[in-house]
Amino acid sequence: MHAGTVVRNLRLFSGLILMAFVTGHLANLSIGIHSLAAMEAWRAHLMDPWHSALGQPLLLAAVCIHVALGLYAISVRRSMTLSRTDVVQLVLGLLTPPLLLNHVVVTYMADQVTPDFDSAYGMMLAVYWKFSPGYAFQQLFVVVIVWVHAALGLYSWLVLKPVWRRIGGFVLPLLFAVPIVALIGFAESGKEVLAKLANDPAWQTHITDNIGSIVKVTSKLDVLQGQILTTYGALLLLAAAVFGARMLRDRLTPVRIAYDGGLSAQGRRGLSVLELSLLNDVPHAHVCSARGRCGTCRVHVDAGAQALSPVNDIESATLARVSERKPVDPGVRLACQARVLGAGVAVTRLLPAYADASAARLPQDWLAGAAPARNPAP
Amino acid sequence: MTTVLRMLCGVALLFAASSPAFAAAEHSLAELSMGALAESKARIETLAGNFAQAPGELRQLTEQTRKSMMSGTGVRGFTYLLILLLVGGAAEWLYWTYAYSPLRAIHATSVETPLQALRLGLRHLLLRVSGMLLFTFAAIGVSAAFTWPAGMHELIIASTLLLLSLRLAWVAVSIIVAPGRPQLKLVPVDPARARWLAATVVVALSLLAFGQFVPTILVRAAEARHAAGLLRFAAYAAATLILLVGAFAFFSRPSGPRGAAQMRLPIIPRSFLLALLVAAVFVAWVMSERVAAVPVIVAIVIALQLGLRDMVYFYWRGDGESGEAERALPAIVLSLARFVVVLAGIGAAALALDTPLTALAESVSPWVRIGLRLLGVAVLALLAHGVWIAVKSVVDHRLAGIGPVDPHHTPDASSRLLTLLPLLRVTTAVVLMVLLVLSSLWALGIEITPLLAGAGVLGIALGFGAQALVRDVIAGIFFLAEDAFRVGEYVESGTNTKGTVERITLRSVALRHHNGPLHFVPYGSLGTVRNQSRDWVIDKFNLPLPIEVESETIRKMIKKIGEDMKSDPELGGFLLEPLKGKLYRVDPGVKIFRCKFRSPPGKQFDLRASALKRIEAALKKLGLGFADGRQTVLMHTPAAIPPA
Repeated sequence: MHAGTVVRNLRLFSGLILMAFVTGHLANLSIGIHSLAAMEAWRAHLMDPWHSALGQPLLLAAVCIHVALGLYAISVRRSMTLSRTDVVQLVLGLLTPPLLLNHVVVTYMADQVTPDFDSAYGMMLAVYWKFSPGYAFQQLFVVVIVWVHAALGLYSWLVLKPVWRRIGGFVLPLLFAVPIVALIGFAESGKEVLAKLANDPAWQTHITDNIGSIVKVTSKLDVLQGQILTTYGALLLLAAAVFGARMLRDRLTPVRIAYDGGLSAQGRRGLSVLELSLLNDVPHAHVCSARGRCGTCRVHVDAGAQALSPVNDIESATLARVSERKPVDPGVRLACQARVLGAGVAVTRLLPAYADASAARLPQDWLAGAAPARNPAP
Repeated sequence: MTTVLRMLCGVALLFAASSPAFAAAEHSLAELSMGALAESKARIETLAGNFAQAPGELRQLTEQTRKSMMSGTGVRGFTYLLILLLVGGAAEWLYWTYAYSPLRAIHATSVETPLQALRLGLRHLLLRVSGMLLFTFAAIGVSAAFTWPAGMHELIIASTLLLLSLRLAWVAVSIIVAPGRPQLKLVPVDPARARWLAATVVVALSLLAFGQFVPTILVRAAEARHAAGLLRFAAYAAATLILLVGAFAFFSRPSGPRGAAQMRLPIIPRSFLLALLVAAVFVAWVMSERVAAVPVIVAIVIALQLGLRDMVYFYWRGDGESGEAERALPAIVLSLARFVVVLAGIGAAALALDTPLTALAESVSPWVRIGLRLLGVAVLALLAHGVWIAVKSVVDHRLAGIGPVDPHHTPDASSRLLTLLPLLRVTTAVVLMVLLVLSSLWALGIEITPLLAGAGVLGIALGFGAQALVRDVIAGIFFLAEDAFRVGEYVESGTNTKGTVERITLRSVALRHHNGPLHFVPYGSLGTVRNQSRDWVIDKFNLPLPIEVESETIRKMIKKIGEDMKSDPELGGFLLEPLKGKLYRVDPGVKIFRCKFRSPPGKQFDLRASALKRIEAALKKLGLGFADGRQTVLMHTPAAIPPA
């Protein structure tokens, strides 16, 4: 295993762990459609494992790794060639930590600071629905943000797998259903909590006391939040600065490459072939957005192979997969991984620009014709 | 004709659009301007008042919103809103998992002609709009399932529709300008500036839409009139600013190189005119809210009418090889587009001025009525023009496909078209003209019934004279319907005139005699038509041979010649039945053989000559000749008289 693959797998697995946690959390929220009591009862099954000796460090590590890798991904970017999905992923991912921090700190840290704090669903919902609705807006917003980020990530990973054709039919609706049902659960349990607050003075007193206890430690928690946010902001700035510096540095040395069909592209030295295509509006398939997974961007290098960066481990693995038992053609490269370091590169795009995820699942179907059928009239 | 039509439309539109002004035309001009000034003064005072009172109203509004949102009700509303967004987003995502590949294919297609780009653009529009509609329907449909906090449901639906209109504007602009995909652009625009142009237009449109809808919502939901007025003013002012900047940024450069060879006369730059228009509209809006739309609409209609020709022909420019006859479609599209633009302009003007079209029709002002009637005439003329262009170009196209007319060449299957199409063209022109004149008179309010009746009285008088004419025309219709003859056929009429049909008109047919004279025969006196050029002819000729020849030998010889001719590459195709001959008569000293063959019309003369040539050669080979007609006189000279 090499660095690129390690980073990719770490991002994937930390993301999957976080998604499992969020799914459990949202499922627990959905039970609010039934009743507050059921929510609390299911909490033991859905949420408590994450508080165990095994779950807690796992979750914490996943959070740290995923955030760190996100920032790292920004810092190693070479250009602004992002697909629309990428932009959504990036923005939502960056928004998540500041928006979610408050919730995490209150529910998790308050337990540690004030031992008798009750962070049950009833308490939190009462806060959101009655005492400080401002937090509710933040939390609702963050539910959507986190889930869209996670669903996009899972979808763009799974859709490239051959197994997607079998599981896609129920995974996709599930991806849509989970947050919708959770929000309905939130609304329904909110109604119940408001009714209970009005009708049950004892419970109301309990809640007010509880809030009083948390208000006492608010300053402490605020300091902690401030520290975490400052660190996060500083790291984000650092990542952006590294990215900006690279853009500025490479700006001075332009390179030019030629395509089949008489097209050509120009850009900074060190950009990948795919990035040059996208920056110059050359139609070029890229289903996985330059993650090196799908293989739809692969090109045949007609000239100047020595001016491209050497094949890395992600690329060789994907090339081996898409060639399906046949020996890998040494002239074929992944355009998203092959960076242009010198002049004289000429490539032929092997897949039509409208190739979709099926080209990653069944690579040979899209190369059936001997000559690449590029961009015919649809 | 087109220019006249265009002017007519412009005039009619001006009449219709500025009808309120005409309604007030009885007042003096001075009174009118005083009234307008007073109106704008009041309006500016209102705007100033908005500035003064809006901050307080806005503060109150914010406070009110905050109070209502920071409660269980607010949280509930927000939760439902997020559910709507998720449902709509899910529907659209699901749609795009199928529709994205076709979209990518459109983006990746290499385009040869602008027409193809237009077709792809329409397909692109359909794909994108379907997704948006799906989002809108899903969101609005699901919104019905919830019990919303008071007033929020209308707000949500209004914002969903606002979002839809913004996205539609974005899609429309991005399809027309095609930023990043220069091959797909639908208007000639510099690809390097396409992105900025699209962004400018979309931002301006969004501001305009915002200024149009959001203040209305504010007024309806919170009665915040001043804040709404201020918001609208700010949005429109910002849009105006952006459009002004855009006008100078995108229309500044001359569209072609200005070398010494193609020096152009300096004209007022388009950027300046555009900026002037934008500024004028804004000022007009500030002065008087309603009237602002009229100059915009008139300017847009005039600009469209001037530019429509180039715009339409831009799409048919690519196929250069097609001739003039192929131009049917763009011509029809052009006149239809002119028509639609004018109608849309009138509709928009009526809408902007809040004048329902029915009220306009019932207006008592004579100016309005005249304007409307002129408009009616213009519409009729446009319709007639469209029909005429359609018929003419179809006919011309078919005729051009058949090729040049040569009446003295063997007619083929297309000759019937050649006969009927020009006739159809003339008939259409006459009928259209008559219909147009009559219906224009009707549209202008002139009673045509007495006219027709008068024509009836005159018609009786004329009718006696025109009897023969009518007979000719009706007889002609039946001759043509029965396909009795076509251009290029050799016919004999009952009146003994004969010749090749050269020209067919409504009343008569022109026959070219084979010696040259041209007969004009009215159909009425054509009588029995003997068409010599249909299907086949049988040719017979006699062959006188010396009495000594053996008839069986000759029969075989002729049959042999017939077979030879049948296998001849040049003649064989024309022999429908081979040459045959048999002994026909025996005259003193002569055996007459009769030969016959069947051939297509007009070919018999050549075939006969060729047959005779071959027969002569064959006879020579047999040591025979034709009967020479010489009489053998036997002289009985007595035997030598012995000398006495």
